[in-house]
Amino acid sequence: MISTTAIAHLKEKLGDSQVLHEKEDLLTLGYDSTPGVHHLPEVVVYPQTAEQMIWAMEIAHREGLPLTPRGSGTGLSGGSVPVRGGMVIGLSRMNRILEIDEENLTATAEAGVVTLDLFNAVAAKGLFYPPDPGSQKISTLGGNVAENAGGLRGLKYGVTRDYVMQLKGVLPDRSLFCTGGKSVKDVAGYGFKDLMSGSEGTLGLITEVTVKLIPPPQDKRTILAYFNDVRTAGEAVSRIIAAKIIPSTMEIMDRATINCVEDYVKIGLPRQMAALLLIEVDGHPAPVAEEADGVRAILEQVKAAEIHVARDAAHAADLAAARRTALSALARVSPTTLLEDATVPRSRLAETFGEIERLTQKYGLKVGTFGHAGDGNLHPTVLCDERDQDEMKRAHDFYNELYEQVLASGGTVSGEHGIGLAKKAYLSRQIGEGGVRVMKRIKQAFDPEGILNPGKIFDEGDPCTTPHVEEGFRVSH
Amino acid sequence: MSLTESKERTGNFRPQDAPHYDDVLQCMRCGFCLPTCPTYVLTGRERSSPRGRVALARAVAEEKLEFSRAVRDEAFFCLDCRACTSACPSGVRAGEVMEVCRDQAQSFYPLGRTGKALREFILEKMVPSPGLMEASMLPTRLYQRLGIQWLVRHLKVLNLGPDWMAKAEGMIPELHKPLRPQLPPVVPAKGEKRGRVGFFLGCVMTLMYPSVSRQTVRVLAQQGFDVVTPRDTKCCGAPHLSEGDRTTARRLAKFNLDLFMAEEIDYIVTDCAGCGAALKEYEELLAESADQRSLEIFRSKIRDVSEFLFEVGIREEGLVPVNATVTYHEPCHLCHAQGISRQPREVIKHIPGVELREMNESNWCCGSAATWGLKYSEESQKVLDRKLENVRATNADYLVTANPGCHLQLAWGVREADMPQKVLHLMELMGRALPPDSE
Ligand SMILES: Cc1cc2nc3c(=O)[nH]c(=O)nc-3n(C[C@H](O)[C@H](O)[C@H](O)COP(=O)(O)OP(=O)(O)OC[C@H]3O[C@@H](n4cnc5c(N)ncnc54)[C@H](O)[C@@H]3O)c2cc1C
Ligand code: SF4
Ligand code: SF4
Repeated sequence: MISTTAIAHLKEKLGDSQVLHEKEDLLTLGYDSTPGVHHLPEVVVYPQTAEQMIWAMEIAHREGLPLTPRGSGTGLSGGSVPVRGGMVIGLSRMNRILEIDEENLTATAEAGVVTLDLFNAVAAKGLFYPPDPGSQKISTLGGNVAENAGGLRGLKYGVTRDYVMQLKGVLPDRSLFCTGGKSVKDVAGYGFKDLMSGSEGTLGLITEVTVKLIPPPQDKRTILAYFNDVRTAGEAVSRIIAAKIIPSTMEIMDRATINCVEDYVKIGLPRQMAALLLIEVDGHPAPVAEEADGVRAILEQVKAAEIHVARDAAHAADLAAARRTALSALARVSPTTLLEDATVPRSRLAETFGEIERLTQKYGLKVGTFGHAGDGNLHPTVLCDERDQDEMKRAHDFYNELYEQVLASGGTVSGEHGIGLAKKAYLSRQIGEGGVRVMKRIKQAFDPEGILNPGKIFDEGDPCTTPHVEEGFRVSH
Repeated sequence: MSLTESKERTGNFRPQDAPHYDDVLQCMRCGFCLPTCPTYVLTGRERSSPRGRVALARAVAEEKLEFSRAVRDEAFFCLDCRACTSACPSGVRAGEVMEVCRDQAQSFYPLGRTGKALREFILEKMVPSPGLMEASMLPTRLYQRLGIQWLVRHLKVLNLGPDWMAKAEGMIPELHKPLRPQLPPVVPAKGEKRGRVGFFLGCVMTLMYPSVSRQTVRVLAQQGFDVVTPRDTKCCGAPHLSEGDRTTARRLAKFNLDLFMAEEIDYIVTDCAGCGAALKEYEELLAESADQRSLEIFRSKIRDVSEFLFEVGIREEGLVPVNATVTYHEPCHLCHAQGISRQPREVIKHIPGVELREMNESNWCCGSAATWGLKYSEESQKVLDRKLENVRATNADYLVTANPGCHLQLAWGVREADMPQKVLHLMELMGRALPPDSE
């Protein structure tokens, strides 16, 4: 238990409202968006500067508390859940945009800035920050970097890591770090910045992020295609890629998802269709027109049931926004939504859809699938009830078998949500024991005492709750 | 489904009127509601967010938490603005869960003897009785007499801002005689008759904005409807739900249900967004204590006046131009609780001569929220300031809204901030387009 003097100390240094320790606060800061995991911290602090952060870490160190960084808690692998209790370091109140550098095409912001706020601020200056996770309205830039978040535009523009130029923050030994810079080229030593991106808050606390900006595309076309079966949609995606067309977005929703989203957005999505592809091509006007025609031709060849072009920019924006709600909307159907992040090479998409359908039947589950089809990144989501132990067991078997297939086809157990708690048991299956060992050594180098976000990505020695895999979906404290 | 635990799990809640466990489990914690919640935006504190509040309710249901003072405080700190309901793709209704928790709070933290007696007098005797309400308001100081002063002082829901009294006084509009006793039981349709509607006259409307509802009746008649206003109409029950008295709310609901069901009318129309929202929720409120069929019929007849006019189609002949620019503030109980956003704008666009200038964040709460704006006057001011900034940017002549609570707060805010906009109810605006002889 954290001592009362330590709390008093924290309050003195950080200010009363930046230190929370009442049970009601702890209860609401011990979860993220991952189902079934909930652990209470002992104290939550919101430092406003790197110096305050070091102060808080110093006190945590004295009290022997592990540290868990937290952005907005939209993570889907349990990354910001404090499995070992201790201190949660909240970053959501460090939310100033510090600079938009139009000469170097960069933006610098505190880690707690909401992704969409940064997007809007740079857009107001005629610039473009492409990474756009479905959670962009809520997620923080720091959380995006820590998870190396992808998004709807990932297909053409890449993921968060591709835009990070510089990171500042604090290492577990309470020293400041700064890695990268505004120089476009930089090969001075190991690529720590790239290592930090996607490190899930296990290597350092990020306080400030500088990202690369690009000019926005001049033109954009949005195409919506409906299909009578999901596999055909998968085939359409593979063929578009094979035709060397790279849309900026190629998103898929199956029937269950279409219906749940439509229940919420009410924009007239066709409820009876088996699948929908939302495709966007952007760039200079001439190639955009050409690519849009190419996409259409392929959709016609594979016999899409219907092909539509978005009426105008507002309609296109509505469609993208609707797609972003897919996961939350699926939660309408059942009390528990278990989502996965299976990612396969794009040539294997149709086959993977077939596999998902087969396993859904085999295990007698309700499943909604949506995802970044153009990236081969699918989110099959089991709609279930955590109170039903038998159903949870079947869901577990479903994912186990699905991941076997995914790995056999050269895929990955996480395209963008990270390993966190949810997928620890799958990691070694993909990268092998040797791979895990190297990762642990890297962790050791940054955090020899193992105080930063312990229990994530892999277990160091003692087994820890790995909800999807080892213990069922138990909510524990 | 082989559930290991029962579906209804009330845990540390009092079993009667506990939040439904399924409603609470529905939250998948995606956070889409966070940026839309005024109290989260104000505090940056997760427990003052919809996601956090639902998590608190869940913890109480799962016996991980007592129904603690902090839970009670969160229930009352919630504005019940329902912005989170609009924002939630999963269909979670955090505001309603908190409303239920306010009721729970009464048994976990009962008031002292005098407090209880006063509370009972106001919520159970005075507000439900139109006669008493009118009598209490006769001269000045009606706002205090109305009970708000008492509520604020005695419910001790929160530390009061020091300036609440001045604010309460400052908010009261110039008063005219209550409308209820003046309205004829039936105002006949003008021109070709299109139907017969019941008018649900709200308490605040008759007492504080009689001239608004007078216009509403005038508009409805001019549009070709007989307007029936049952004299005995009682308070819709919204203040009771808001203060956590579901029992009296049910009693009032049952009374109004029977009263309107006895009338030969096609629709029940109201010009108060708060009343409309409450009436539309009778079906749930009375689910166990009234006949299902009549609840369904009643529900199917309720319309906000803008919803109604848009649905039946506005008869434009005879309307005279109103040359003005207006901007529209969406009352939470209209846009979030009833999902009515487009209709009032369509009504505005149908008024000849009027130019609608959209403000940013038109559906951001004004910070009034029943007695919230008085209990938390400082926070309320911050919520209001954001609204006023958006109003200012439009440079419109009029600020139009459709709910008496917003009307009070906005009129006060505009005056305090020395802004030129005049605040009007949508029906006052439309009333100006009616030919004078249609009185
Ligand atoms: C509806 C919905 C849609 C989503 N769509 C996508 C999507 O399209 N693509 C995608 O990639 N993800 C998506 N996600 C997952 C999630 O939004 C992302 O992982 C996001 O980047 C998390 O950001 P956050 O601020 O909420 O971080 P949190 O959930 O709070 O934390 C995530 C991880 O980052 C660490 N962390 C947070 N801030 C810092 C910091 N400043 N320094 C160090 N470590 C830190 C935490 O410890 C944790 O391990 C979605 C989630 C939801 C709920
Ligand atoms: S209330 Fe709705 S929007 Fe908010 S976190 Fe829960 S599911 Fe998401
Ligand atoms: S009703 Fe309003 S104040 Fe209450 S939780 Fe929802 S958004 Fe927040």
